[in-house]
Amino acid sequence: MTQATAIAIRDLTKTYKDLKALDNINLDLEPNRIYGLLGRNGAGKTTLMSILTGQNFQDHGTVQVFGHEPFENDATLARICFIRESQKYPDDFKVHQAFAAASLFFENWDQHLAQELMKEFDLPAKRKIKKLSRGQLSAVGVIIGLASRAEITFFDEPYLGLDAVARQIFYDRLVADFAEHPRTIVLSSHLIDEVANLLEHVIVIDKGQIVIDADAEELRGAAVTVTGDAAKVQEFVGTAKVLHRDALGALASVTIESQLDAGRREQAKLMGLDLSPVSLQQFVVRSSLSSASERVDEKSEAWS
Amino acid sequence: MNRIIKVARMQLINKATFIGIPLIILFSSFLFTVVIWWLVRRNDAEGILYGGGAQAPMWYFLALGIQALTLTFPFSLGMSISRRSFYLGTLALFATCALVLSVFYYLMGLLETATGGWWLDGRFFALQWISENNWFIQIMFYFVLMVLLFMIGFLIATIYMRWRQMGMVFFFTSLGVVVIGAIALITFTDTWMQFWEWVMTWSAGGVTLWGGLVAVLMAGCSYLTLRKATA
Repeated sequence: MTQATAIAIRDLTKTYKDLKALDNINLDLEPNRIYGLLGRNGAGKTTLMSILTGQNFQDHGTVQVFGHEPFENDATLARICFIRESQKYPDDFKVHQAFAAASLFFENWDQHLAQELMKEFDLPAKRKIKKLSRGQLSAVGVIIGLASRAEITFFDEPYLGLDAVARQIFYDRLVADFAEHPRTIVLSSHLIDEVANLLEHVIVIDKGQIVIDADAEELRGAAVTVTGDAAKVQEFVGTAKVLHRDALGALASVTIESQLDAGRREQAKLMGLDLSPVSLQQFVVRSSLSSASERVDEKSEAWS
Repeated sequence: MNRIIKVARMQLINKATFIGIPLIILFSSFLFTVVIWWLVRRNDAEGILYGGGAQAPMWYFLALGIQALTLTFPFSLGMSISRRSFYLGTLALFATCALVLSVFYYLMGLLETATGGWWLDGRFFALQWISENNWFIQIMFYFVLMVLLFMIGFLIATIYMRWRQMGMVFFFTSLGVVVIGAIALITFTDTWMQFWEWVMTWSAGGVTLWGGLVAVLMAGCSYLTLRKATA
């Protein structure tokens, strides 16, 4: 198995009329890992995945999938699967016909797995796709994504309309199948806490820019919330980068981006301060918000 | 190459769309026509009876051209198919269907002549203007007509997929301007008589040739448009 990069993105820019959907993006994705592509609605997640799969085009920059431009490149496209959140199906197709079509084009297609998943998601094989509920429609996309076993598989908000049980089935199946058939998986989501444990690497995109590109393990301890007497909190925080600040009377709760060693933790304890871990979701939310306010600062500085 | 054939197979997953429905349209319009002829004959009508029902499935191809694109194209992108493979596979499949149907029209025309117009002196398949030509021109005439109608639907749908509503507004406005311009030109130069005389000189062979050229031109335009269309 080659360890070359699966996806290489250089200076990628895409503009829709007056909206910069992607702003000079640089990224490298390694093969056989599970990536989380996180960000708010409209952050540019779907646009990025569309360009990576040749479904849309960039204004600037280059995209290489296994060393080749994916656009109009059948040989490269055949190794990718991307079912979009708003995927359209032919009007007259039934569920099993969509899978029959997918089995034509994805050479690693596993019909047995597709059938098992259909049962687990309680999906009626003979029903017309346009008669399906939103959750069932998402299930069709999830099944195509899993059963295609493509070398790079993108899941675009795959859980829309799925209930908690169905979502858990998806996560469990994804992990189990990944263990047996390693491949590159890009999971786009804004339910960050739910998928946090699946992810090996996290990419956060906000307003078309990459805000975070780091190992999930690294991020889990990357921030901490310090709570206690406002003055003491301030003294403890010092010059660390503040992601968020809450104050209630004399109490303060400050989230800082900093890895605390044992000594610092001991110091906090002596000062009577509480330390609490920051979940991936909170960290992403705080980072996105603070990057937004930084941009506002830059703008207002430019104005003055 | 392989993926082009797979696109054709994907379009055929629902066999009704490309095969079943055109056949139902053709046979029902044929049966209706024959029944009407029979009723007319019972009332002692004289002379040859003409029926235009053979064109009924052809108009369905206009809709098929639109449907093949608006519904199947976004799906085929999701199946990781390049636009080129989608285009070639879809066109190849349609051309095959059109060719089979054209040969069928020709054979039915022979049968119609042999049975004296289905024993009612009716003309459904072997319209004189077409059937007076040799077999090749007859088959090509039907073929080109079907492909032309399919390409009209396909091209309009491609323009929609690429430029959405603005594309439609621009396309139909331009078309309107061209048509009205042509009408105005003929009216102001007072040449309507010459125009209709010229139309009467058209032969099935000539129409086939020019229609084929227009179809090829539209095929080229729709490919260039589709190259940058998105789901």
